[in-house]
Amino acid sequence: MATDSGRAFACFALLCLLVLAAMIAIALGTVAIPPSTIISAIVSFDGSRDHILVTSIRVPRVIAALLAGSALAVSGAIMQAVTNNPLASPGLLGINAGAAFAVVSVMTLFGAGVGDIYVWFAFLGAAIAAIVVYALGSCGAFGRSPLGLVLAGAVVATFLTSLTTAVLIFDQSTLDAVRLWTAGSVTGRTMAQARTVAPYILTGLVAAVLLGRHLTTLTLGADASRALGQNPVVWRGASVAIVILLAGGAVALAGPIGFVGLVAPHIARMCVGIDYRWVLPFSALGGALLVVVADTAGRLVFGSQSFPVGVTIALVGAPFFLYLARTRLREET
Amino acid sequence: MSRILAALTILLALLVAASLALGDVSLTWRDIYHATTGTGDADPQSVMIVFDLRLPRVLLALLVGVALATAGTITLAIMRNPLAEPGVLGINSGAAAAAMAVIVLIQDPPVALLQAAGFLGAAAMALAVYALAWRGSTSSLRIILIGIGLSSLATAGTTFLSAFGDIGSVQRAMIWLAGSVYDANMVKVRLLALWLIIPVMLAFLASRELDLICFGDNYARSLGQPVDRVRGMMIVLVTVLSGAAVAVSGLIGFVGLVAPHVARRLVGASHARIFPVAALIGACLVVAADLIGRIVLPPLQLPAGIVTGLVGAPFFAYLLWGRRHGHE
Repeated sequence: MATDSGRAFACFALLCLLVLAAMIAIALGTVAIPPSTIISAIVSFDGSRDHILVTSIRVPRVIAALLAGSALAVSGAIMQAVTNNPLASPGLLGINAGAAFAVVSVMTLFGAGVGDIYVWFAFLGAAIAAIVVYALGSCGAFGRSPLGLVLAGAVVATFLTSLTTAVLIFDQSTLDAVRLWTAGSVTGRTMAQARTVAPYILTGLVAAVLLGRHLTTLTLGADASRALGQNPVVWRGASVAIVILLAGGAVALAGPIGFVGLVAPHIARMCVGIDYRWVLPFSALGGALLVVVADTAGRLVFGSQSFPVGVTIALVGAPFFLYLARTRLREET
Repeated sequence: MSRILAALTILLALLVAASLALGDVSLTWRDIYHATTGTGDADPQSVMIVFDLRLPRVLLALLVGVALATAGTITLAIMRNPLAEPGVLGINSGAAAAAMAVIVLIQDPPVALLQAAGFLGAAAMALAVYALAWRGSTSSLRIILIGIGLSSLATAGTTFLSAFGDIGSVQRAMIWLAGSVYDANMVKVRLLALWLIIPVMLAFLASRELDLICFGDNYARSLGQPVDRVRGMMIVLVTVLSGAAVAVSGLIGFVGLVAPHVARRLVGASHARIFPVAALIGACLVVAADLIGRIVLPPLQLPAGIVTGLVGAPFFAYLLWGRRHGHE
């Protein structure tokens, strides 16, 4: 896949695979639905039981999985580029810790029956945590190197996670209400939920793809990027804003799924090289595929509608990732 | 250097003394003096409090802090990644999965079994990460990536158990995972001290090797260092150190990550200087965290691992950003 046409072909193949996986995810389940019914349910909805099943349960769930997967994977790729660190993920910006803390505090204060509102609190918590991390990381003695961002992220995430754990240890009912959410799940997502979050995620995805060229430059390090005429501080700020849109939206929709944001960018880089103009679309497609396949596998294999995708995704993705890391990673660092 | 060491030692001594004095029953300095020396009119109750309850606990916290900080310093050096802490080798996720499985699947497991499971989980994961990352030689990037992959598998197991296990067991497991030094006794302290003394000495003796490996594999190799063998040995040391710490105290995070960063900012990049400073910082941090967790919300006891995050994180944010005396 050394040439651009090869990469474009691979992208197209991945897209076809994704469409196929989405169709299978909609078709299979407790009741199998033939593809013709799925298409007619979307094109000409007639209110029959199968049509309602498709439009109100299976399609929203698949759309939520697609949105969350692509958003997490792309924001992970951006984080790894900005910090120049293979261990970086959206969680490093405090996104997961902030969202979890916001959701747990809302549930503790107002009880578990607050309904959909916690989606917004998750988004808000994620955004505030990320802004604090960025502000801390860009001031003080570290301001001009990514090390500041990395350490600030570790500090803030640790602080918020400790706070969350302290609440959960003493409050069993909140722990019971929140533990499925913290595993990461797309069970029972409605079209309305997907529609509220979709604009943020789609904006973020478009902006990220437009930014690809600059991300490649950022990975060369602060000195080289400045020598090439780039202002790393500006682009780092823009990248963080995009990550907040993407990962904040994903966490609000599907809870803190950790694995995708960390691993999908690595898989993309091992397949298409280090040029972020290709890494970003590849990560988006790969991440979406990973979440859809993992969610479907969880539904079919474990026979439970509420099996958290956060668990199956590691079971599906980790062996593949380990195989790639052993065989494709040749460059010595 | 010597001023920093002296300051940290005094701080540690003060923290230890405060840990002996403060608690549900506060003791005066005179009580502690009489109890420890056995002179004067030593009150049997205060002797019991000092020797059977508080001293083992504070010593255990101190040892755990030293172990975590030393392991963190080694990991930071061999991985050459500012986010690297022993958890990168899968140690935390392995221990967490093993402990969660023991707590959730066996109702009320004996503590010894829990500790053995924690250590075995940690060691098995570290071994698996190193073995899978080995392809004729190792590279730190491959170790990191394999660590991510295997850790995510172990974490998936932990998440599964915590999402579907009995809620009471899950909560007990969370308390253990949060990291604490609740049930300390002198036997445990002696065992841990014996266990740690050789790896800590070896790590200190390997300071120069760590200085070399920091330059990068190729430089280190061209300077005559057998990089793979050094990295393998160091990973064994990290496993022994933090595996033992995890077994006695659960997952006290953050210490292994931050102690070496702060030490490096205080005394520069030479590991012979970083090790003692980082060890003292780690000890201070865990002792202080345990003390704060005991006295701040009595009769509740906050696990030390939570306090390191709650109090340690803002404090280190201040240390790392507040003052601009660093070399970097």
